[in-house]
Amino acid sequence: MNRVVQLWRTSTVRLTALFIVIFVVFSVLLLALISYQSSIQIQRQQADDIDREVTQLERIDRERGFRAAIVAVERLSRQPGPGIYYIGTQAGLMITGNVSDLPVNVLQEPGTFSFNYNLSRPFEGEAKDKSEGNAVVRSVVLPSGLVLVVGRDVVERRGFSAIIFQSFLFGVGGILLFSVIAGGITAVRVLRRIDAIASTSRMIMSGNLSERVPVTKRNDEFDGLAQNLNQMLDRIEQLMLGLKEVTDNVAHDLKTPLTRMRNRAEAALRDGQSEPVQREALETVIAESDQLIKTFNALLMIARAEAGAPSGAFADVDLSAVAADVAELYGPVAEDAGMALETHVTDGIMARANRELIGQALVNLVENALKYYEPAEGKAGKITVGIRRLNDRVLIEVGDNGPGIAPEDRGRVVERFVRLEKSRTEPGSGLGLSLVAAVARLHKGQFRIEDNQPGVRAVIDLPAA
Amino acid sequence: MTPSRQPTAKTGYAMASSMDYDVLIVDRMLPRRDGLSIIESLRAEDDKTPVLILSALGEVDDRVTGLRAGGDDYLVKPYAFTELLARIEVLARRSSPAEAATSFEVGGLSLDRLSRKVERDGETILLQPREFRLLEYLMKNAGKVVTRTMLLENVWDYHFDPQTNVIDVHMSRLRGKIDKGYANPLLQTIRGAGYMIRE
Repeated sequence: MNRVVQLWRTSTVRLTALFIVIFVVFSVLLLALISYQSSIQIQRQQADDIDREVTQLERIDRERGFRAAIVAVERLSRQPGPGIYYIGTQAGLMITGNVSDLPVNVLQEPGTFSFNYNLSRPFEGEAKDKSEGNAVVRSVVLPSGLVLVVGRDVVERRGFSAIIFQSFLFGVGGILLFSVIAGGITAVRVLRRIDAIASTSRMIMSGNLSERVPVTKRNDEFDGLAQNLNQMLDRIEQLMLGLKEVTDNVAHDLKTPLTRMRNRAEAALRDGQSEPVQREALETVIAESDQLIKTFNALLMIARAEAGAPSGAFADVDLSAVAADVAELYGPVAEDAGMALETHVTDGIMARANRELIGQALVNLVENALKYYEPAEGKAGKITVGIRRLNDRVLIEVGDNGPGIAPEDRGRVVERFVRLEKSRTEPGSGLGLSLVAAVARLHKGQFRIEDNQPGVRAVIDLPAA
Repeated sequence: MTPSRQPTAKTGYAMASSMDYDVLIVDRMLPRRDGLSIIESLRAEDDKTPVLILSALGEVDDRVTGLRAGGDDYLVKPYAFTELLARIEVLARRSSPAEAATSFEVGGLSLDRLSRKVERDGETILLQPREFRLLEYLMKNAGKVVTRTMLLENVWDYHFDPQTNVIDVHMSRLRGKIDKGYANPLLQTIRGAGYMIRE
């Protein structure tokens, strides 16, 4: 019962029902029109038949005499069918024919009559004893003085209507049955597909994120929907996995400095510590917490960039100016570190961008280049900051001639908190390149690390505005 | 300065509009009302008290909406207390004539904003444009601590977060130009906070 109610609720079944109703209404209207038209047609044809026979018999009477006419009527009235024939005197004395009890006025006044009879059909003695019917007759007075009556039983016409009505019933009934079955089957199928999607979503809601909506080979609209849903689920699952990983990493990477801070503070409180020692401990604690705040800020910024910043944060930004600013900001730093910072800036490259985030990404790249520089004999450290247009792309590049990143690690370093073995000793959160990658994605571009031969060439590849 | 603290937007607004304060510190996330609407209401009443907005919303667009609503400075949580203090100091003196002055003088060091000339004891000092802006900002806030973040925001107009001592490098260059060879250094490093220029 529940299933039936459920089925009735489906739009397919409702649509089918609506169509059935519309179809039946139209069929009835059509049928009424057809039967009306055809009854008129039959009536006209019967009248024509009667007229023709009357004319024929009149001619026979005129040309060959009343005997011939009587013989002709005799022959006609023997034929089976709806024909009604009478020839006799006006007084009602029948010479021959297949009807005896004609109403008196038919014989008295020549003309066309229609009357009901409720008797056994007089012209077909054997069967159809108590047929009721309606007859149309025409009476004329022949030159010989005899009265000729020719007519038709209208039962024939009725029979025709009955046939139309019957075929209508069969037709409508058949179509009704067919529609109900077809509608039902479609609805059940639709319901089954929807149920599959619903049960998958229930399973996902209950926590099983790896569940997917089944896709059939029919490649219909449901499969299209299912594929879209599955892609969405893939993305969600990926995000959830990323989130979990990040949470784990955050927990680990923040716990370590927090524990260190706590221990330092505890050590400083231990009795017998002189004031300068305590002061130093406090300063270390402040420095550590500053570093923590920076890590938090970086995480927050990545999260914002990955969530997709509201378009309000985007403006027409002169990317060339941002690159030049960053180069100018870091030029002296590089110089102090014994490196040269070169700029290759094509002027006037504009884009819809978030200036702060692009700036921060560039800063992160330059700082990385500074951080991993290894001074060596006979090799001058060099950083290049560049921005250029390449076809319909804007390439923001930061290159160095440092130790470089092994090809197998290039994909991994953009993940959050990933720090390569040799950088473990350097200060840093392992978030710098993650932010760069997130910023590139936010601007519908990508971030990649290339071989600068030697060194790293970090490329932020954005679509040109 | 006497601080007064109001926990809700309603009482805070009432106090801010009825009393005369040097600086207002408004948190964006107040119970039942966005802190920004307080600032907008005050500005609509032609109240020009400097406002420092505190927020946990750190994105740039938040900063922009905050400043557009009439805030004078925007500080994102978590922040160092020294940072907050330094910004309040600067804001409180904002209405002072220094803001509009065309030249500054600190202990024999003078800076002319119109001719873009810097002199110390009559000797001209040549500065790069950025160094000039750096010194200008410091002298405008002479006697007050300015943090590295404030310098980055006001001199370079970026709100990003450098991991390295990039500001220190620029400051040491500036120091080399204005203090080198003089007995009394004017540019001082305030440990754990930032920099200050004073006699």
